[in-house]
Amino acid sequence: MKAERIDGILFEAMLRQGAVNLERHRQAVNDLNVFPIPDGDTGDNMYMTISAGTQELSGKEHSISRVSSSAARGMLLGARGNSGVILSRLFAGIARGLDGKDEAGVPDLCDAFSLGVREAYDAVSEPTEGTILTVFREGVSYAEDRVSRESTAESFFDDFLLELRRSLERTPDLLDVLRESGVVDSGGAGFVCIAEGMKSALEGSAAEEAEMETQGAASARIDFSLFSEDSVLEYGYCTEFLLRLQRSKGEIERFDLSGLVSYLNTIGNSVVAFREGSIVKVHVHTMTPGVVLNHCQQFGEFLTLKIENMTLQHSERIAENRDPLRKQAPHKRYGIIAVASGSGIKNLFSSLGCDAVIEGGQSMNPAAEDFIRAFETINAETIFVFPNNGNVILTAQQAAALYDKARIIVLESKTIGEGYAAISMLDTNEENTEAIIGEMEEIIAGVKTGSVSQASRDSQLDGFEICSGDYIGFCGKQILSDSPEKPKAALSLLERMNAGESDILLMIYGCGTQETEARSVYDAVTKLYPRTETIMIDGGQPIYDYIFVLE
Amino acid sequence: MYVIFTDTDTDLTPEKAEQYGYHLISMPYSIDGETTYPYVDFKSFDSHAFYDRLRGGVLPNTSAISEEQYKSYFEPFFKEGKDILYVHFSRAMTMTFEAMDRAVQELQKKYPDRSFYAVDTKGITIGSLNLVEEIGDLYQAGKTPQEILNWAKEEVDRFAVYFFADDLRFFKHSGRVSGLAGTMGTLLGVRPIIHMNSEGKMVSVGKEKGRTKAVERLVKTVEDLGDHVADHRVIVAHTDAPEIAKELCALLRERLGENLNIELVDVNPTAGSHCGPNTVGVSFHAKHR
Repeated sequence: MKAERIDGILFEAMLRQGAVNLERHRQAVNDLNVFPIPDGDTGDNMYMTISAGTQELSGKEHSISRVSSSAARGMLLGARGNSGVILSRLFAGIARGLDGKDEAGVPDLCDAFSLGVREAYDAVSEPTEGTILTVFREGVSYAEDRVSRESTAESFFDDFLLELRRSLERTPDLLDVLRESGVVDSGGAGFVCIAEGMKSALEGSAAEEAEMETQGAASARIDFSLFSEDSVLEYGYCTEFLLRLQRSKGEIERFDLSGLVSYLNTIGNSVVAFREGSIVKVHVHTMTPGVVLNHCQQFGEFLTLKIENMTLQHSERIAENRDPLRKQAPHKRYGIIAVASGSGIKNLFSSLGCDAVIEGGQSMNPAAEDFIRAFETINAETIFVFPNNGNVILTAQQAAALYDKARIIVLESKTIGEGYAAISMLDTNEENTEAIIGEMEEIIAGVKTGSVSQASRDSQLDGFEICSGDYIGFCGKQILSDSPEKPKAALSLLERMNAGESDILLMIYGCGTQETEARSVYDAVTKLYPRTETIMIDGGQPIYDYIFVLE
Repeated sequence: MYVIFTDTDTDLTPEKAEQYGYHLISMPYSIDGETTYPYVDFKSFDSHAFYDRLRGGVLPNTSAISEEQYKSYFEPFFKEGKDILYVHFSRAMTMTFEAMDRAVQELQKKYPDRSFYAVDTKGITIGSLNLVEEIGDLYQAGKTPQEILNWAKEEVDRFAVYFFADDLRFFKHSGRVSGLAGTMGTLLGVRPIIHMNSEGKMVSVGKEKGRTKAVERLVKTVEDLGDHVADHRVIVAHTDAPEIAKELCALLRERLGENLNIELVDVNPTAGSHCGPNTVGVSFHAKHR
């Protein structure tokens, strides 16, 4: 019997299963990368985004309106990367279409999905066909056309998914870069995974796995910066485990549970312990989990074990008041936020006067919520945001739209170099904000950024026969050099970029480059381009062995 | 009958001092507790060696000279029945002139007939040097102290100095520049443009990216703000950056006339302790500072 209507409980299961299925194919989606270097992260971004949505769900809500709007809110805040932002807006549109409904039949789904299409297209200023947008739009349009009186929610989803898959296969026909690289669109592929998961839940097959996904998502959200080198352990560890009592360690029948509970109460609190046969389940909050484990191990061995620092858990709950200093932060006219990865680069931005540096970049795109948290730490009338990647701009803009306590200006800096160039010239004494924006845009337009990274697969691009393991130098999306030797790839990239014509060359070497090698490249560069002022920085960034910023 | 004084912070060297008839007060700096008096403790200044030490991470301090030291400079001339005109670096930048005031008060009690005149150049290094040399010319031409003071009243504000910094550590250490985009710790090619305002304080007036743009900004400033530039000295100074300074000189000649009277000087080590190596600046006659 096919499901005719979808209520909140079922919709939640569908979303969870969608997330589970995407998680399963996450790496495959990541690997659908146009560029032959291992920096694709569409799968991660979309998974983190949908997980941020399912995390808002309780499993008890019967109204599809409430479930879809809670999930959409979570996704809007958790959105990472362009594909994540589009996904969040897509579900926000669906939620709008389901507003006020306890359950949805086929006509409701048609309306809601159409709104989803519209909202997803609105998320980007210049929608590109051959992406998740096209795949979703064509899927919805096909399913709608096939609706008849006999249609059920399940048959609607059958048609929807059928066309999603076909549309995904057609994406290389619409986007040259996909065809040249021999891949289908990664965002579209990610969405197909989600839709497949949703459909299997609709068919009622997969409640258990959804459970697992909740746990994965919870750990993905932990912000380790909340427990720093100087933090004091205040709340201890939430320690939970299943212990299998072992015959070799004593008579199972004579195991004294109440004795264990009273012992645990001497070194912890919130103790919950019960026994079923030879398995003992223990939950305790303690400052010394090691002592608990050693004590318990004398009775048996652990089946599962989970220890979590409760400062991190606690902070999640009291995020609103997390930073007691926040209210005292001096009020300023301008605040500056940059997105960066690599310790050296983050320090660089701090020293340039950034009030907050958000971790992230090409891989590990920050979520909209990360931006909002950073906004909240800055007491400024206007906050300038400098992304370091085209895939971060949209997320920043989404965060800006969700925040109303300051004017947020997202500059469209697409590389670390563009951000550096602009921030270093930002004059916070200037009263005319529009003048600053104009100057920043002008500076960003005048920067060339080149990078060197190692190819992860063979490919033919821009006239280069790239072998896996080669070092490729590229500027924007164009490959300019290719060599098995990293310094050669770097120097020939600089030559192709006419480094000698620039006043300033910032050379940022990554964690994959030895200082001695960087030094020799630096020496060669200063000899080759004596008129260009070259500055070398240990950026510590992943993936990009060298980043060259030319102004 | 009067004698003229200036101090080493104005970049006047002993050779030039002698030409004009200036007596030179040595303003000290210290590195690791060892105090050096320019042109007392050394004969000629090895600019490259000094600024290279700074490049190596040394942060020198500067100190005020004492009331007694001022007395020992001035008293011999009062004793001989001569008056004194002291053309000094900016009072707004130092505490040293309070010691000088006390010394002069004491001496005037002892020599009530003697007069002490002071001209605050409201500058340091070449910001002062241009005025020091103009006044030296007037002194040589036989002008009286009062005539010089009257001239200075009009002209101190008409000599502008603009320079760019390469390393903010020194400015931060000395704490003598305001408006330095405050937060920046690393310059990474960015060069704050600094000038001396009419109160005699260093103020940042913007920044440029890269040496080429910074040099261009200085040239542009001379073009825009200059007034009868060619009728006066144009002084270019640097802290061990002769290439950039020469580039600046060449551009100035190209844009303002080949016959420009350009003087190229090394920034003295005491003032240079505040700005560090690779600073380049220009002083010129201007509509205003």
